[in-house]
Amino acid sequence: MATENKKTFSRRKFFQRSAIVLGGVVVATYAAKGVIRRFIAETAEGMDMPSMLANNEALLWFEILPDNTVLMKSPKIEMGQGIFTGFAMLAAEELEMPLDRIKVEHASTSNGPIDKVSTGGSNSTSSLYVTIREVAATMREMLKIAAAKQWGIKPSEVKAHNGELSSGNRKITYAALAAGTKDWEVPEIPALKPASEFRFVGKDFKRIDLKQKVLGKPIFGIDQTFPGMLYGAILQSPYIGGKLKSVKTDLAAQSPGVVKVIHEDDLVAVVAKSRYAAQTALEKMEAQWDVPKKWQQDEFVALTKVGTGTRVNVQNEGSAESAIKDHPEEVFKQEYRTPMAVHAHMEPNGSVVHAEENKATVWTGTQAPDMVRGAVSSALGLGKDEVNLKVAFSGGGFGRRMDLLQPQNVARISKIVGQPVHVFNTREQEFMNGVFRPQTHHVLAAKMNKNGEVEAITHDQATPDQIFSMAPENVGAFFLGADFISAGHGASIMYNVKNKSTSVWHQQLPVTTGIWRSVGIFPNTFAIESFMNELAHKTGKDPIALRMDLLKGSEKINKRYQKVLEVLAEKSGWDKTKPEGTGRGVAICNDRKTIAAAVAEVEIIDGMIKVRKITQVIDPGMVINPEGIRMQVEGATMMGLTATLYEEIKVKDGQIASSNFHEYPMVTLADTPEIEVVIVQGHDEPYGVGEPPMGPVAPAIGGAILQLTGKAVRSLPIRLS
Amino acid sequence: MEIDFTINGKATRLNIDPAMPLLWVVRDELNLKGTKFGCGKAMCGACTLHVDGEAFRSCSIPAEFVSGKSVTTLEGLSESEEHLHPIQQAWMEENVPQCGYCQPGFMMAAARLIEQYPAPTDEDIKNNITNICRCGTQPRILKAIRRAAEIKQSLKS
Ligand code: FES
Ligand code: FES
Repeated sequence: MATENKKTFSRRKFFQRSAIVLGGVVVATYAAKGVIRRFIAETAEGMDMPSMLANNEALLWFEILPDNTVLMKSPKIEMGQGIFTGFAMLAAEELEMPLDRIKVEHASTSNGPIDKVSTGGSNSTSSLYVTIREVAATMREMLKIAAAKQWGIKPSEVKAHNGELSSGNRKITYAALAAGTKDWEVPEIPALKPASEFRFVGKDFKRIDLKQKVLGKPIFGIDQTFPGMLYGAILQSPYIGGKLKSVKTDLAAQSPGVVKVIHEDDLVAVVAKSRYAAQTALEKMEAQWDVPKKWQQDEFVALTKVGTGTRVNVQNEGSAESAIKDHPEEVFKQEYRTPMAVHAHMEPNGSVVHAEENKATVWTGTQAPDMVRGAVSSALGLGKDEVNLKVAFSGGGFGRRMDLLQPQNVARISKIVGQPVHVFNTREQEFMNGVFRPQTHHVLAAKMNKNGEVEAITHDQATPDQIFSMAPENVGAFFLGADFISAGHGASIMYNVKNKSTSVWHQQLPVTTGIWRSVGIFPNTFAIESFMNELAHKTGKDPIALRMDLLKGSEKINKRYQKVLEVLAEKSGWDKTKPEGTGRGVAICNDRKTIAAAVAEVEIIDGMIKVRKITQVIDPGMVINPEGIRMQVEGATMMGLTATLYEEIKVKDGQIASSNFHEYPMVTLADTPEIEVVIVQGHDEPYGVGEPPMGPVAPAIGGAILQLTGKAVRSLPIRLS
Repeated sequence: MEIDFTINGKATRLNIDPAMPLLWVVRDELNLKGTKFGCGKAMCGACTLHVDGEAFRSCSIPAEFVSGKSVTTLEGLSESEEHLHPIQQAWMEENVPQCGYCQPGFMMAAARLIEQYPAPTDEDIKNNITNICRCGTQPRILKAIRRAAEIKQSLKS
């Protein structure tokens, strides 16, 4: 990558842009170092999605406002993870600004570049940990250089502190200096502060978006309104694979408040003066659907089975397969299943689009801004640069917003009516046309010697993909065979067993499957760790001791596992007597270098599972904001609890059988256990935290039930029979 | 049909379809976006607001129901942005929201709950608030409601 050229480019861009920014001065700089480092690390790690790595040009922008605050434009999106807070902390370290003087908002294409990286994979903070500080440090040096020029001294004689530059008794605020500076000199990327000098990183900070959210400010996509805005509702197939055969729209057209009924190729929609009017009219449409096959649950589930479809071996050490095949009498073998699930984030998908003569503006919450921009530009026949995307806060995402949420259709509607158009799904549309978490099937087998030691282990996971729908048809399947990157993430056996082998099997489903919080970690940890709990049960070993034995070895990562388990045993009171009628279960996983482990305490009352307490220990490498980590771990635990106890998308007569929350229950306050989060700082660079703690929840609960009832849990959601 | 009611203390008259759910009246006719849509079927609580002091899921009550009544949304819960309602103060103290989308509904349900139960136990809270939060803020919501009740008590004494 030609760093020099990029620098010139970004400076030129900066000058262009500084002219159009009102009320402040934009400073931009290019920082490739961190990104390239990250790129190599991620590629080496082999666990991130290729789509995230495409064209990783990062331009991060700061704007110094007249009140001497700094506005940071984030290329990553805030959907609840708390990343804006971590970003502000990182920027504050190098900017020499108090934290409360840094604001963060989403970059939009008119006030700052949207990068091509999507938000996901729990890597927002870790992937920008170096970059943000480099950009902030560069900006601080630019300010120093500008001050030095003004005062006729050397930049090294200027001090930056608390939003002020000084030298001797000369002093100027960042804002005053920036307002009077036209020619910025961009230095080489300065050396970064060592961690020992951090003032914010490592301390607890509340969310910087807290007050907005407590006041209920209109920050979400669905809250956006514009003069002349109309509301649309789009007809969507209620059948899996359904294609529109015919539709009668007269009743809809006569419905009160309707401005226009659209029927153009595959797009059937109503535009009205209010959302209520649009939805009411849509319900009056009489549509006939061609349904290629009316799927039923059993045949649907049968599509995902080890032995069916394409197999890709992803781990092969020693001679696990033959060891297991040759000694069937010494082999312990079990099967596990997880169901399909939907994201069910609380703000439904949609967007507001205003298509005009030669440009378009899109307001939406999306994890993949560049994709939205591309889809809207091609739907309207515009250049990508003519589409301005304003990213709103997302009311949850969990991976659903990695896919397109119909902005291209909203754009078409807006073009037809010549007004801004607001289209957001109903909950029924959300469920009906979800991009589902794939169902999975696992077969695990272990060969044990006379002493009960595991000599060989194999894991076969059958899973539809989560990422193939993002590439042109068949490309993913052709190049990868099976989705071992995302859906198969976490399938490999991390334990120190001499002979081990893991394969991922792929067969497409007739519905779209996609990224769902924790990707493969949730099903794979459920399968592998439930199997480990069964092994312990069968051999009469303590489940933590069994894992400790299997983690012995010299590798550094194994030390981190062991440490996490030790802390977990202590904090959860693993060796203390349990209250009467309580079971305790444990599980651990490694998700992109973060280690997460949990102990669940479970009771069964009147045939119902009551999870009393979950102790989560997480080693996310370096800790940036412990309070932010605790929130994420709590959230992942609660989402894991829903996935363990309730969640399941079934199909029936060719339709998704869950239409709304009454057919897709979620945990409520009544299900909420005591959650204790313990953070172990196991490394000097940060890894992800949003997804890993979901992994251990289901197998830990299953392990507790096994201990309590002697019956193993082998499929989700857990049903006590 | 013309409907007269009070919204956050202000008298209002709207000419609307009497069957229009109150949620959309508030959001789209009155442009108060603090009340959220989550399910439209009284199942998630995102749209919770107060009518004459009682908590209602506004997606499932028709506009005509509030004729002559007084409606309070999150925007009207506190005196001002500086003087927050005890519920909002507690939400700040406990750093509750994640994505924030479900929070207005939870705060409105909780504001009503601490009127009914000035010192609620976890059981009181769990039995009375069935809203949904996908981000998993429930542990903090439980703490914040108990804290809000304390703040409210301390204001009285
Ligand atoms: S939107 Fe009213 S309860 Fe869900
Ligand atoms: S905070 Fe996101 S749904 Fe509750």
